[in-house]
Amino acid sequence: MVLLQPDRFLSELTSMYERSTEKGSVWVTMKRSSLKGKAQLQKMEKKGKEVEYRCLVRASDGKKSISTSVSLKEYAKFQASYATVLKAHMHALKKRERKDRKKAADAEKAPETVPKKQKKSSSKKSSGSKS
Amino acid sequence: MVYVDSWDEFVERSVQLFRADPSATRYVMKYRHCEGKLVLKVTDDRECLKFKTDQAQDAKKMEKLNNIVFALMTRGPDADISEVSGKEPAEQQQSKKGRGRRQ
Repeated sequence: MVLLQPDRFLSELTSMYERSTEKGSVWVTMKRSSLKGKAQLQKMEKKGKEVEYRCLVRASDGKKSISTSVSLKEYAKFQASYATVLKAHMHALKKRERKDRKKAADAEKAPETVPKKQKKSSSKKSSGSKS
Repeated sequence: MVYVDSWDEFVERSVQLFRADPSATRYVMKYRHCEGKLVLKVTDDRECLKFKTDQAQDAKKMEKLNNIVFALMTRGPDADISEVSGKEPAEQQQSKKGRGRRQ
């Protein structure tokens, strides 16, 4: 597991998504962590020091694992670029199929309630076909 | 382990799980491009919550959950997530309406 800088992590994550388009999955795990061992934590508790927690983000494609840690200050920026990466690569998900079908059904029903619109559209269509 | 069907329930229970044990709870997002599947998992190794989807609109909801999780994990379990989760109330309402129509 390599601990990377947030920017580097995102570019590695991008290439992970690109490599796994034909087969394979990508896992991204988020966990709250102080990045310190148990003993160290106990020491800090004894001394009454405040422990700084970060968000540990790990990613894996089954072969390679990368990780980064995001602090309170960085997280808004990281979150935004992370969302951009996800948006850019999650395009295999289905787009509102059911709603489209419903829309089609609504369109069939619509003429009964709003006949004017239908006339307009039909006249446009016919004029379009003529020209 | 069972898949949670309702998105709102999944979010609510995930937040509860995290708040109960912040340092042991993790959030995993698995995306499989070739099958177009997205699986979200929140677990503390005792209880496991999962949500599976193949719909693009759920990716938007997931983005919001990412926001919530980031906020909780960096700011701590007591962080106020209402501003993160309720940032776009108009959009939330729309998605609710949409769900109603489709059912």
